[in-house]
Amino acid sequence: MSTVESRPTAPARPPAGADAEGAPLKPPKAFDRPRFLKFFMGVFFLFLFVPIALVVLFSFNSSRSLQDFQGFSTRWYQTFFETESLRDSLVASLQIALVTMVIATILGTMLAYGLVRARTRVSSSLNVLMLLPLVTPEIVAGASALLLFTQVKLDLSLTTIILAHITFSISYVTVVVRARLVALSREVEEASMDLGATRWQTFRLVTLPALWPAVLAAGLLVFALSFDDFVLSFFTTGESPQPLPVRIWAEIRFGVRPTINAIGTFMLVISVVSIGLALLLPRLFGKRESGLKVLLGREGA
Amino acid sequence: MNENRFASAFLVPGAVWMLLLFVAPLVFILALSFGYTDDLGEAIYSTRLDNYERLVDPAYVPVLLRSVGFALAAVVICLLIGYPVAYYIAIFGGRWKNVLIALVVLPFFVNYLIRTYAWIALLGDDGMVNGVLDTSVRFLNTPYAVIGGLVYGFLAFMILPIYAALDRMDPSLIEAGKDLYGGPWQTFRHVTLPHTMQGVLAGSLLVFLPAVGDFVAASLLGGPEEVMVGNLIQQQFQASDNWPFGAALTVATMAFLLIFMLFYLRSAAREAREATA
Repeated sequence: MSTVESRPTAPARPPAGADAEGAPLKPPKAFDRPRFLKFFMGVFFLFLFVPIALVVLFSFNSSRSLQDFQGFSTRWYQTFFETESLRDSLVASLQIALVTMVIATILGTMLAYGLVRARTRVSSSLNVLMLLPLVTPEIVAGASALLLFTQVKLDLSLTTIILAHITFSISYVTVVVRARLVALSREVEEASMDLGATRWQTFRLVTLPALWPAVLAAGLLVFALSFDDFVLSFFTTGESPQPLPVRIWAEIRFGVRPTINAIGTFMLVISVVSIGLALLLPRLFGKRESGLKVLLGREGA
Repeated sequence: MNENRFASAFLVPGAVWMLLLFVAPLVFILALSFGYTDDLGEAIYSTRLDNYERLVDPAYVPVLLRSVGFALAAVVICLLIGYPVAYYIAIFGGRWKNVLIALVVLPFFVNYLIRTYAWIALLGDDGMVNGVLDTSVRFLNTPYAVIGGLVYGFLAFMILPIYAALDRMDPSLIEAGKDLYGGPWQTFRHVTLPHTMQGVLAGSLLVFLPAVGDFVAASLLGGPEEVMVGNLIQQQFQASDNWPFGAALTVATMAFLLIFMLFYLRSAAREAREATA
């Protein structure tokens, strides 16, 4: 995710009042909009959504065929929920995502607060270290995590998956929360201290409430990423139960059954709901800001 | 308690976690890459260079080059698709901007395996496209299929930074370009593109880095001729159980990519410093 791209060197937008004198910034006229670009967008969205739409459609196919749709049924969902090992995998995936979300959100938020407010000798190297997992290829992360766990004689299980997931989720939380913290006016904290609150009370009663939208949005993002993650889980999973993406891998490699469409669609719904919530949350807090900006760590940008 | 000490305390848990679970494993990998496997298949730490010598073996060099080549091809295609899309949304999106960009991001929260699998169903030898057209074109197990899979997998990483750069750009700059009698192409070349170069660079790196190490696209959409370094690493750690060689492959990949990572992170860290200053 492009959570960390650079700030512009471009001149800032003129203040709103400046428009009154010069020509108002009117939106480009219709004929400014090249037709081919419109056409291109259409083709692009088809390319993006047709494969996914097919997975959803065929999850409701009444026949075994993965090629032609023969009628509506929910039998593949029934198979999914009635197969015990698949149900175990679903539960395992949800557990992993929930625990990862809680721990990574706490650690990441603390790290963001420390990085923004503390001036230490290690701050700048920590800033880089904290971002490194975001750009490390997952295969490197997965292989090295597997090696670590075997070296310290930790049996591969849900715990090892969670440990690996948390490591790579902290960075996301830190980037998102840090952006909000930077945008936050420091005077409010100072006022609270002037009124006799301790540092801790100020953090708990002033800073944290202001950070909530970003913290929750980051948590939901982490939930979705962890729930969907394949590579890290693949390297650090034990025998059983294995998280859903690892099961999907096995299905694709060793003979596809139609249940895979139902699993895929179900996972899609869970991811989309958590990301949708993350995008809407800042609005629920009465902020007139885009949830997308919060998620991209671009608040106040 | 002064603020600095109070805030520094917040750094401790995260920093310790990162050291133990991110830095330490990489150190282990580096150490094991100089090791070997004994007759029992057990990985032994040592100080040999055998694994690195194996990397330049004619059997493996093509794989390493191919990984970089496929990733570069994916970057170029993502750029060609992504820039116009980002441009359209940022400049013409109007009040639909957020909806459109959300629609772009949405598919990337569908599981990567499922998205790749969908292409198998579409393009397989007896897949839907061949079925509908009544042809028997071989799409899969070709380099094009793997590169296409990488593009479909990582396209959002290209679009978002470019969109962000375009969105931040003052639209009156484009107007100014036109007022100075710049044609659409000149305005784009001399005004829009330079102003969004950072987005283009960030997007290219964000596609390139995961693409080089990817093994899913090559496993599912490619054949034996499309093996990438990610597949090799995965095999060493899981199938053939030669962890030291796998570690050397991992170190080589990471070392090669580190140049790009640091380049990217330097600008990101500078941004963070500017923002906190």
